[in-house]
Amino acid sequence: MSDDAYLALLHGRRVRRLRTLGVSIALAVVAFAAFCWSIAVGDFPIPVLDVPGVLLGQGSPKDDFIVNELRLPRAVVALLVGAAFGISGAIFQALTRNPLASPDIIGITAGASATAVFGFIVLDLGGTSIALAAVLGGLTTSMLIYALAWRRGMSAYRLVLVGIGIAAMAMALTSYLLSRAELYEAREANLWLTGSLNGRGWEQAGPLLVAMAVLIPIAIALIPKLRTLQLSEDTARGLGVRVNLSRSGLILVAAALASVATATAGPVAFVAFVAGPIARRLVNGPLAVLPAALVGAALVLASDVVGRRLFEPTEIPVGIITALVGAPYLILLLARANRVGRGG
Amino acid sequence: MTASTHHTLAAEDLTLAYDRDPIVRDLSVQVPTGKITCIVGANACGKSTLLRGLARLMKPSTGTVLLDGESIQTMSTRTVATRLGILPQGPIAPDGITVADLVAQGRSPHQQWLRRWSATDEQVIVDAMRATGTLELADRAVDQLSGGQRQRVWIAMTLAQGTDLMLLDEPTTFLDIAHQVEVLDLMVDLNRDQDRTVVMVLHDLNQAALYSDHLVAMRDGRIVASGAPAEVITEELVHEVFGLTCRVVLDEVTGSPHVFPMGRHHRRP
Repeated sequence: MSDDAYLALLHGRRVRRLRTLGVSIALAVVAFAAFCWSIAVGDFPIPVLDVPGVLLGQGSPKDDFIVNELRLPRAVVALLVGAAFGISGAIFQALTRNPLASPDIIGITAGASATAVFGFIVLDLGGTSIALAAVLGGLTTSMLIYALAWRRGMSAYRLVLVGIGIAAMAMALTSYLLSRAELYEAREANLWLTGSLNGRGWEQAGPLLVAMAVLIPIAIALIPKLRTLQLSEDTARGLGVRVNLSRSGLILVAAALASVATATAGPVAFVAFVAGPIARRLVNGPLAVLPAALVGAALVLASDVVGRRLFEPTEIPVGIITALVGAPYLILLLARANRVGRGG
Repeated sequence: MTASTHHTLAAEDLTLAYDRDPIVRDLSVQVPTGKITCIVGANACGKSTLLRGLARLMKPSTGTVLLDGESIQTMSTRTVATRLGILPQGPIAPDGITVADLVAQGRSPHQQWLRRWSATDEQVIVDAMRATGTLELADRAVDQLSGGQRQRVWIAMTLAQGTDLMLLDEPTTFLDIAHQVEVLDLMVDLNRDQDRTVVMVLHDLNQAALYSDHLVAMRDGRIVASGAPAEVITEELVHEVFGLTCRVVLDEVTGSPHVFPMGRHHRRP
């Protein structure tokens, strides 16, 4: 009798773990397929099924050059940017228990964009300096939002409201800067602001890889704390979590991920916003940070391919495609929240 | 699952404040080990704040909380969590979490970098769920349960923490009368069968009288009276603490005092 209950419990928990694992593997396969597809498509098409072989160095010198020099960095950037936005969104949404609280809505990507545009137009910075400015801007914005949302502890609700306000201010600043810019600069900045992977090479993919190699392990290490923090601040503290330390760490790492992604590809719209809820629905559980990374990666990779193929040879920036996918979801979410009285 | 060691909890000259307004003032209290203690008082008298202070959920302005005779502020959050469990007000079950996974969260103070999940953890969870009658709900989603079931799940989580000191802030709120009694009976079971020290903030004076060994009555952040319910609950005290005129009758069956409130319309001329 006692053993039966024990085994049933073990079984139930194992089934849920296996489901999460199965979903993650399936998502990884989808993301890898999108990755290969992204590399296959272009002026010199390469059969999708040949791509893995060429990646492993088994292609002709021409294919090898096209794949590994020209197209791989762009696909790597798409993969990592999507993963970074996915993790960042999942962390923010879980921490605030609010699907609206993703970094692209509460102003973190908007803050990163504003500083990048400031650096580009006013300070005349180039490549790496702009990226650094964007990262600094995103982190500063996140700390500003956290500080303003603080009153006797953090209120998730206030964080969202303050964040939406900060996002509006950052976008106003960006628009002002654009209105003062030279036409050529404004066009350049605008393309970046829609979120674009055009022309991304190893000089962008390299630093992004390094940043992700640092940030993702930190995020993974903090997931157990996040799980407990979801139960309310007092409950988490009662369970031995150092609430302020863990929460600050989570906000910083999530903001850093969103900022690094924005610095590399611009504020690709709605990826951080939709990846978390989609992943949670697939694993059917309260928290799905790594599956969200895979959803984000697959989404950005697929959107980029669609954007390149749709009106060939004209390329549509990836941010426009992700917005076309994400915006209806936002409307759906708000409509549902109104009907049911709560969000996602 | 008898708690083998007894941990003690006390407060000395404790002042607790939000911003600068002191809610609990210069309060000293000793929680009787192995007994059920109930804290009662009018709204905003500081009873929940006292419980939060005792559980180290807030930092004292002055004075100390002593866990095993040692200042609780000098201990790590994790150490406190392995000796003292608290069920605060308004815990939140994340959307879609199952009962078993929520109860398993109670083991998190025992998880560390290298020491992850063990058969002991699973056994403690099963025991906690059996004691609270939530084992058959294991795979259900918490947000689909009734209020009474959900409250038992939260208690199971606190129980899974494996501490012999359990603090509960109004565990019967939002429950109907039958479920209130069910939860309170459960606390008595835990106290008697597993030798746990229980401290509860309760709203209902009669339930507090019926279910506690030790009663602490508070007003304006101070303790007005404390002791056995039969000694503490008198017509004068209820008037002093709640500003309520009442009759106190000793119930023949339970042997505990029962308060009959007397509103303006029920007093004899």
